[in-house]
Amino acid sequence: MDDARPGAALDPITLEIVGHGLVAIPNEIDANITRTAFSPLVYEYKDFASGLVDAEGRLVAQGSGSIPIFVANALGVAVRDGIAVHGIDNIHDGDVLISNHAGTLGQHLNNVVMYTPVFDGAGALFGFMCVLVHWVDVGGSTAGSCSATDATEIFQEGIQFRSVKLWSKGVRNDDFYRTIEINTRFPSMVLGDLESQLAGTLTGKRKFRAMIDRYGAATMREAIEAIWDRSEQVARRGVRDLPDGVWRAESFLDNDGIDGDTPVPVAVEVRISGETMTIDLSGVGGVLRGPMNSGVYGGAWPAARIAFKILTAPDEPANEGCFRPLEIVIPDGTFLSAPATAPMGMYSATLATVIDTIVRAVGKADPSRAAGGHHATFAVHWFFGTDPANGALYQQIDTGHGGWGATAGADGGGPYKTMAHGDTLDVPVELQEALCPLLVETIALRPDSAGDGTHRGGLGTEKVVRVLSESGFSIQIDRTRCRPWGIGGGTDGEGADGRIEPADGEPYRLLKGVTELGPGDRFRLRTGGGGGFGPPESRDPDRVADDVAAGYVTREKARGVYRVALDEAGTVDAAETERLRQGG
Amino acid sequence: MTARAMPLIVAVDTGGTFTDIAAFDMERGEVVYAKALTTYGDLVDGVMACVAEAGVDLARALLVKHGTTLVINTLLQRSGARAALVTTKGFRDTLELARGNRTNPFDIAFRRAPPLIPRTLRFEVDERVHGRGEVLAEPDPEEIDRLAEAIAGLDVEAVAVSLLNAYRDDRNERAVAERLRRRLPGIYVTAGTELTREWYEYERCCTAAANAIVGPRMADYAARLERRLADGGFESTLYMMGSNGGVLSVERTLREPIALIESGPVGGCIGAGAYGKALGIPDLIAFDMGGTTAKCAVIRDGAFGLRSPYFVGGYDTGFPIRGSVVDIVEVGAGGGSIAWVDEEKRLHIGPRSAGSDPGPVAFGRGGKEPTITDANLVLGRIGAGVFLGGGLELDADAASSAIAERVAEAVGMGGRPVEETAEGMLALGAVTMTGAIRQITVERGYDPRDFALFAFGGSGPLYGSLLARELDIRTVIVPPEPGNFSAIGMLLADARLDVARTMIRDLGEETLPEIRDAFAEADRHGAGIVAAEVPGAAATLARSIELRYRGQKHSFVIPVTEIGDAAALREAFEAYYRDRFGHSDSAAPVEIVGIRVSAYAQTDKPALARLPRAEDSVGGAAASRPVWFGAAGGWIETPVRRRAALPAGFEAEGPLIVEEYGATTVIGPGDRCIVGGLGEIRIAIGD
Repeated sequence: MDDARPGAALDPITLEIVGHGLVAIPNEIDANITRTAFSPLVYEYKDFASGLVDAEGRLVAQGSGSIPIFVANALGVAVRDGIAVHGIDNIHDGDVLISNHAGTLGQHLNNVVMYTPVFDGAGALFGFMCVLVHWVDVGGSTAGSCSATDATEIFQEGIQFRSVKLWSKGVRNDDFYRTIEINTRFPSMVLGDLESQLAGTLTGKRKFRAMIDRYGAATMREAIEAIWDRSEQVARRGVRDLPDGVWRAESFLDNDGIDGDTPVPVAVEVRISGETMTIDLSGVGGVLRGPMNSGVYGGAWPAARIAFKILTAPDEPANEGCFRPLEIVIPDGTFLSAPATAPMGMYSATLATVIDTIVRAVGKADPSRAAGGHHATFAVHWFFGTDPANGALYQQIDTGHGGWGATAGADGGGPYKTMAHGDTLDVPVELQEALCPLLVETIALRPDSAGDGTHRGGLGTEKVVRVLSESGFSIQIDRTRCRPWGIGGGTDGEGADGRIEPADGEPYRLLKGVTELGPGDRFRLRTGGGGGFGPPESRDPDRVADDVAAGYVTREKARGVYRVALDEAGTVDAAETERLRQGG
Repeated sequence: MTARAMPLIVAVDTGGTFTDIAAFDMERGEVVYAKALTTYGDLVDGVMACVAEAGVDLARALLVKHGTTLVINTLLQRSGARAALVTTKGFRDTLELARGNRTNPFDIAFRRAPPLIPRTLRFEVDERVHGRGEVLAEPDPEEIDRLAEAIAGLDVEAVAVSLLNAYRDDRNERAVAERLRRRLPGIYVTAGTELTREWYEYERCCTAAANAIVGPRMADYAARLERRLADGGFESTLYMMGSNGGVLSVERTLREPIALIESGPVGGCIGAGAYGKALGIPDLIAFDMGGTTAKCAVIRDGAFGLRSPYFVGGYDTGFPIRGSVVDIVEVGAGGGSIAWVDEEKRLHIGPRSAGSDPGPVAFGRGGKEPTITDANLVLGRIGAGVFLGGGLELDADAASSAIAERVAEAVGMGGRPVEETAEGMLALGAVTMTGAIRQITVERGYDPRDFALFAFGGSGPLYGSLLARELDIRTVIVPPEPGNFSAIGMLLADARLDVARTMIRDLGEETLPEIRDAFAEADRHGAGIVAAEVPGAAATLARSIELRYRGQKHSFVIPVTEIGDAAALREAFEAYYRDRFGHSDSAAPVEIVGIRVSAYAQTDKPALARLPRAEDSVGGAAASRPVWFGAAGGWIETPVRRRAALPAGFEAEGPLIVEEYGATTVIGPGDRCIVGGLGEIRIAIGD
């Protein structure tokens, strides 16, 4: 009925304007949440997402400011559970629901999705405005909830809310607010972030509704279908450009997340047929003892969807249509499809490796698009304790950044965070030292850490932190043994490593665990370098000389691996290089 | 004293395409304007051509104020000096490590722009200040001497010194820089804390590196400019336009050329602020649209916002500059922006621009791709004689055919009137521009409906009412001389210096004495410098304090006059916070992040009422032509008036077109316009 208005019909230009308008809503909410959040995981790490889904939970538009893990449609998954729990007829205008249910979302319990229904002018349910925010603490055995490296059950990781109404028909549920307040260690921070999450949800709803009023519900639905169709076409073209076939790759994680030397397999199979791709993750390891598990929608789906988007439509806005040509196969009971009771505090720690392994498989289909492996571990390191300067509690959380893989056309990039990250910023040393009793002695590129090749990988880094007073310390490093792989004759990059160097005592390795450090003790983190591409002895000798001059590569490696001889001044000795390369 | 003999105040703005001049004659109360093409071989040629074009007698000039793209272009093109970097032991790679982020998470080939200074030219010195202020190790003079010797052999023109935590205590950094200066005569040496006292080592290091790289170029440029101006008879003071909206002496420019990073665009913001104040409309959105980009800024109480860091080359892959830079959002949407259709038949506008060569299809200079200007011509919104005072005749038929063939057909609108597609191009361009305006307002915590839209630049007045309607803004203001407005703004600029210091402290009585001392020191520093730059002028000071809830990242800059007690500061903070976000927390601890002092010294400047020109070469008597307004049903015969012929108090209902040299204003059906006492056109947007 609303489309009887003159000029409301969907022409191609209106379609574009509606498309931009839909993306603008969550982008604006993203910016506001970043600006008003208390939790550094929100404002530095971008551990949040906002978006619009339709009445069936299908992703219409999502903000581009957040980390990519949430393109798996954590938002729609939460909404669908809410509809299942309450029944569609019991979701009313003015309701605001939240969920962090592990059985639904499959992520750590800090990730709380808030959503509110949006009705059109005729009172019909049109969709939902959703905002996911990482709450700084939801109870559990350790401060921060998801930081216990030794958790073996989800119940050690905090309280769960499954599709609970925070507001009902515009009335605030004070009982529930009180429940939240009493179940977190940092009530003012959590309630402050909740306010900004609520403000974003309601603002987004208002803007979504204004668009529906302006263009009419039927036109909007038509536009959304068209937007999905076109994103689908882009993705289909991306798949079509890849060779048909069954492509496999394998890698592995260090262990079960607690300790031991038993590797956990990450075997993937990618089946490409015409315009569709199946990512089969049946070959990944079983449920882990430690907290690196994820549920199917928090693990298998994001890993497969991120990889798919990297391979087919990197620049396309994220929506339901982008993923239509993708089928995901995952049996129950893997670490990417763990049951709701499994520990998930570090649910995302494995994803970068899974994504990279999928990219590796497809790289076998089309070497021109292949890339060497990247460092792929978050290397989360936390310092926490009481600051002797003011008696206040402090915590300093940071992750490592390392090298990325080389490609057919270029050396690897970096150092960057992992494939599971996006616009995630490193914490400045000056900020760390001003706010915590720490002294960062160095953060530097790690010479010879990159995989060698015709194009070499990006370099890993070395960071040394000295603690100045008694400090708790928690560390979670993986991928020390399965190094970032080289391809096409390129060599592997160095893996990650973590060491404790006590002020008086023998240094020792510590990759996963919690310990106490005293004044003068050091933590040394080495992150991996990216894998190389193509045989190193085919690399342009002048570029090897440049790498040696810059200190990225040592002379020994230049001669031994690249077979490039340099004179005293560091320039290429062409004759000797020729001899070395022929002799090989 | 010399006002009689030297009655001219001159502003010259070197922009991307044109170099503009505005010269105000205090004796006659008149202003002259001119434009010349920007000369990339030597920018000074364009400046002098402009001076000649305007007939300005430099011997009569009291002041010349100059904005230039030299700094930003040198950095974007990486055409600056070869420079070395000296930093703290352990942090040689800070400049290359950047912050570890990738702005497109799905692009496996993402690469950040390469570091400003390569690793072979980066050196460490054994010294250390801790992040809490303690000096753990002082640099050894002998080590610095050895370093100087090594650097002397590297054929560099400049050295940047940026040490860890120097924002906290700069004595080591100063010692290193001073010794290097003595040991490296003829080499440009700059230190990070001479440019900014804000924290974050990567950002400060980039700032120092960028300053080193542009330093020698700026020295050459300023010397050439001063010589050429002197040859033209100029014997008074030259000022350069800083990105903070204040002018600075050549001497200061040579020390901190990086302060000129947004030297051009800031002019329009100064002008918008001055008009807003004079008109009693203190809250404006300054909207400047030219041939290739549109820029917008928020003006509150007559003042524009500043932003740090500023990203050279954009946030996605560029690098940050700390400092005092006008907060502008810029998008690739201008008159020359090209309409194109992707493989999925989706229409896009820009960011690619046809520029002036070949230019829009209508220019008839070989341009094949339809642009926003072509769409405006097809719709009758601009006349065929609008460019260069009619010197460039536009071809509407060619524009129409190009839009029909390359856009309408491609998106599937071939069966409909071409005007619908042309209007669609404008509407889609408007999406990009409203997006920019939302970014500068909503994302900074402002509601665009609380502002008037102040539209200038060659294309701004064409778009003003369309954008205002989209954003629910009620008033649009088009100042006199919208096409020369940046130069006008520069005429109005005072000397200004911003001093910012990061000082992380709890907000409490015990920390306030230290804060008061820091303010006093910043006052002295700022006032001393600007007062010296403008002989005879007294400095005025504006202080503000940066506060936040402890644990929050974003801080808020709250203006303060006196530092009273902690409770009063806290109340001011909470009031500000409530105003922006609708809530505040009276229990959460508040912390001080830093202090800021802006010092100003007034320069001679014209009264705003004198700025409109009396004569204009454009157009003849009142006329009319058909203009397409789709929402009002299509073609409407619309009156076309010459701006210079409209007296103050003139009132009219839209539709109406007002033409002048360099710009056309569109007043839509349902809108109302009135010409104000300063020659401004005010448009009241209809419902």
